[in-house]
Amino acid sequence: MKAYDQGSSLFWLLFSVFVFIESNRLGIGTLQNPETGFISFGASGLLGILSITLFLQSSFRKEGAKTKSPFQGTLWKRVFLVLIALLLYTKFMPVGGYLISTFLLMTFLFFIVERQKLRWVLVLSSLATLVTYYVFSKWLNCQFPPGLFGF
Amino acid sequence: MEFFQNILLGFQVVLDPTNLLLCFIGVVVGTMVGVLPGIGPVGAMALLLPATFRATPTSSIIMLAGIYYGAMYGGSTTSILINIPGEAASVVTCLDGYQMARQGRAGPALGMAAMGSFIAGTLSVIGLMWIARPLAKAALRFGPPEYFALMCTGLIILTYLAQGSILKALMMALVGIIIGNVGLDMITGLPRFTFGIDELTDGVGIIPVVMGLFGISEVLINIERTLKRDIFQTQIGHLWPSLKDWAVAKWSILRGTLIGFLLGILPGGGAILSSFVSYAVEKKVSKHPERFGKGAIEGVAAPESANNAAATGALIPLLSLGIPPNVVMAMLYTALMIHGIQPGPLLLKNNPDLFWGLVASMYLGNVLLLLLNLPLIGIWVRVLKVPYRILFPLILLFCLIGAYSVKNTTFDLFLMIFFGAVGYLMRKFDYEAAPLILAFVLGPILEQSLRQSLLISKGSFMIFINRPISAIALGFGFLLLLSNIFPYIKKRRQEYEKIEE
Repeated sequence: MKAYDQGSSLFWLLFSVFVFIESNRLGIGTLQNPETGFISFGASGLLGILSITLFLQSSFRKEGAKTKSPFQGTLWKRVFLVLIALLLYTKFMPVGGYLISTFLLMTFLFFIVERQKLRWVLVLSSLATLVTYYVFSKWLNCQFPPGLFGF
Repeated sequence: MEFFQNILLGFQVVLDPTNLLLCFIGVVVGTMVGVLPGIGPVGAMALLLPATFRATPTSSIIMLAGIYYGAMYGGSTTSILINIPGEAASVVTCLDGYQMARQGRAGPALGMAAMGSFIAGTLSVIGLMWIARPLAKAALRFGPPEYFALMCTGLIILTYLAQGSILKALMMALVGIIIGNVGLDMITGLPRFTFGIDELTDGVGIIPVVMGLFGISEVLINIERTLKRDIFQTQIGHLWPSLKDWAVAKWSILRGTLIGFLLGILPGGGAILSSFVSYAVEKKVSKHPERFGKGAIEGVAAPESANNAAATGALIPLLSLGIPPNVVMAMLYTALMIHGIQPGPLLLKNNPDLFWGLVASMYLGNVLLLLLNLPLIGIWVRVLKVPYRILFPLILLFCLIGAYSVKNTTFDLFLMIFFGAVGYLMRKFDYEAAPLILAFVLGPILEQSLRQSLLISKGSFMIFINRPISAIALGFGFLLLLSNIFPYIKKRRQEYEKIEE
């Protein structure tokens, strides 16, 4: 865990430095007249200090056994594929419309965890798409993008 | 007399057919969410929040609160039958509940969990009515320094009670404050951290953040391993606990209620902590502590009572002070704000129908839950049998629709996916999302009260020391932080002494 704490603390340190610089640019003001960047300036400063503390704390920590990676023995590729699918869906939905893009996404997601019969996957995807479309679009008046094909 | 009039007003509100229906929907969805591992009450509330936009504020809050205490009820079912807690507050119920099921006593375990939850829920609603009113009256005298101090202390307590590292929890709270800063400055009207993206001018929406950190990340964690859920094949049998069971568990229910209610009020306490504390207390006061973990009915009654009482107790700081003590209450806070209602001391005066309607709905909701949980256990068990490969795409789809429907923009979907990935990594590296969310919600109010306090005091921080309530609150928070630092220094010193020797 030591290396992961060191890595994550460095990430938060960089993040705090970025926010710190940006807050300065926005203007901190004075104690009598705090300005736009006042709170983020203070919060990023504290975050920076805590990140350094975490880095030092984890560096001086003694660890007996070698710790395994949090991704070791996991199906992280599956997670990555799902994230990519969700991003593609978000990008494609305004063009393809809710019905087509949701059907495609559902088909992919039903397939990814366990290979199932195509017939079942298609039935499940169609059901999920149509039921949610009618409940949210027709009943709750949610404005889904119609897409290029008009549905 | 006024008290009974208020209760009557509450029942008048909740017996309105729309409110009654929404209360029913809330507790059913809540129970289902509690039963199904993978989506907690926070995710479900975020999901259904956009659906409440067309309803009145009272109806919306009644439904959302129903989801919360419904989930507390439902969580016990999975803990007892499959040894997997439906939500975090039911983790401790697994210890004895599952053992009872293995001994062929799943029925009494489920029955005791439901009855204990019902009794605790009802008693704590009475507590809520008695405490919230005087607290709200006292809070009318609070100014910006008091609010700033209370919120700071709340965040410190939340991080202090964090499950993992306090340092990491504090860091997450600061990240939450920074994310809450995105958008237009409330006082100057200048944009902050928007980087030219128009959609960020309104700030980062709570729904994409909550759904990403709690909904999407939970799904991602679940699909990275092969999930197999085996429902213990046992005859559930009669659900009503025997007289012997009642004799053993009656005091556990009362102790659990009291512990849960008090810890629920505490910022960061909530249902999870109270269920663990009540279990520990029961084990301590028991004449036969060796029975715990082997199917003791007190081990089911106490934590289940505690988590339900905590769900009600947490409403006290939200409704009377306007400070959400945990993430679920932060969702309710957001729902109230979206509907144009400012939670706080004036809520009781300006919106008595909402306050008393909510209180009455909780009475009614508890009765509905008892009716739902006991006879419908068979249906919930069948719901549990839905394989995760079918469940997870549906959870993801609901999250996508929920995030999209708030503003009808795909930008919120990108945000949600981004926070989903961040939440997944946070879980991997042991960072908690709860302090981030609470600080994210409290951040803007915290900023406003700090800036107002400094304007009042002409830049002097002494304003927080000179006013007794803020001085006590900040002093308490400071002591909590110190109490965490000293043991660490002591430990380090001992290590160095050892090395020197």
